[in-house]
Amino acid sequence: MQSIDHHFLDDYACRNALRGIDTRIKLILGLGAILIAISADTPYAPLFIALILSMVIVFLAQIPARLYLALLLIPASFALMSVIVILFLTGGGVPILTIPLPWFTLTATDAAALHSLIILSRAIGGTCGLLFIALTTPMIELFSILRSLRLPDEFIDLAMLLYRSIFVIIGEAVAIYNAQVMRNGYSSFRKGIVAISMLASSLFIRAWDRGEELMTAMDLRCYDGKFEILEPSSAPTISQILPVLLFFSISGLLAFLPLPFPPL
Amino acid sequence: MHIMEGFLPSPWWQIWFVLSAPFVIMGFYALRRMVRENREALPLLAVAGAFVFVLSSLKLPSVTGSCSHPTGTGLGSVLFGPFIASVLALIVLVYQALFLAHGGISTLGANLFSMGIAGPVVAYAIFVAGKKAGINEIVTIFFAAAFANIVTYVVTSLQLALAFPAEVGGIMASFMAFGAIFAITQIPLAIIEGLVIALVFKYIVQLKPEILIKIGVLTQERAERLREGWA
Repeated sequence: MQSIDHHFLDDYACRNALRGIDTRIKLILGLGAILIAISADTPYAPLFIALILSMVIVFLAQIPARLYLALLLIPASFALMSVIVILFLTGGGVPILTIPLPWFTLTATDAAALHSLIILSRAIGGTCGLLFIALTTPMIELFSILRSLRLPDEFIDLAMLLYRSIFVIIGEAVAIYNAQVMRNGYSSFRKGIVAISMLASSLFIRAWDRGEELMTAMDLRCYDGKFEILEPSSAPTISQILPVLLFFSISGLLAFLPLPFPPL
Repeated sequence: MHIMEGFLPSPWWQIWFVLSAPFVIMGFYALRRMVRENREALPLLAVAGAFVFVLSSLKLPSVTGSCSHPTGTGLGSVLFGPFIASVLALIVLVYQALFLAHGGISTLGANLFSMGIAGPVVAYAIFVAGKKAGINEIVTIFFAAAFANIVTYVVTSLQLALAFPAEVGGIMASFMAFGAIFAITQIPLAIIEGLVIALVFKYIVQLKPEILIKIGVLTQERAERLREGWA
């Protein structure tokens, strides 16, 4: 299946080897890593975070390395386009690269190159933190955390119903899409537009019918405006907390010590 | 167009969270009111949100072939209003970050502002204005969806420009540069999204207008007029 992305990271999160670890500690590790990565002024801390978290994801959580690498490349097109703009826009220092174009000249200086390098490494470190949460923590476990944050009940119920609905209607989308491909639905650009509109509209109508049926089902089971969620029973152990603290202190030191950059 | 995780430096990622917060809080109140008034609203909002999520994971047939996917928030805004649309967008953006690695947690505020607030507000304004002026709904939907997409991309360019102003020419020069480089993929995409959403709306009116009449997007007579026009 080329065109519908239905292999969600949640599938892998449900089967990862760190599933049994307390949700809060995984969430704190991921969010803390993101926070330290984007606050750093040098690339050392973000790259350290990227390295350690990648090893944790591949070796401890046992996510296939090939899949993990493919995931790291998802934001690559955004990163590439934006970093090119930053490289040629910010200045200072000595020009290292000039590209003469017919109407103006693009110049990249060494300071701009270092600046782009820092931004890129922050983005890589942050992405590793995001992928750590995405690949080790199934969404179902996050709902109880949301509840404890005192967000409105309607909002959490909406998020849970939405989560469930995604899996229901993505299956239908894949079925319709396959049927359309078999009938040459996407053989030209024009046909493709018509086909995808038909797919989306029949999906919408089916989804809507499902929603109405779901309400009936929920009413029959005495839904009163709040789903109950089982609270997590396990508490984080000291052997889980210590490595996280160690990780935070090293990356924090790397981020906030006045280390020289560039290292010359 | 999602800004990737870790790309916005301090203080910009915090600023966009703060700017998005009032809309989300308004959205929470609108949601609570809607659920109180009509108990069926919750599952219907959920399927509509899931629809937006699935729509955004479909790759559109596009000229460039790169990461072009519709935002889908234009339709959500026309159906439920901009505040509810921003709550739906918040949930969808979190799921996109966690399930598909599109966007991120620290950039959630910025992405929510461009995709879940600016886009839907413009789409809703266009739809309401078009309705008042008596323009054909299909035409208004095209413009609402296309402009929701364009506004999203303009706001994203602005967010990046504010965070990374140019050495010469400052924020404006940087804004033009980001705008120009994203325009390559976003302008054709906006037109395609407008076409697709307009066609989707047309098919819904043809096949099941009751949905649109029930939530007050169309009146009975307008739906019949539209259907007679195509018959």
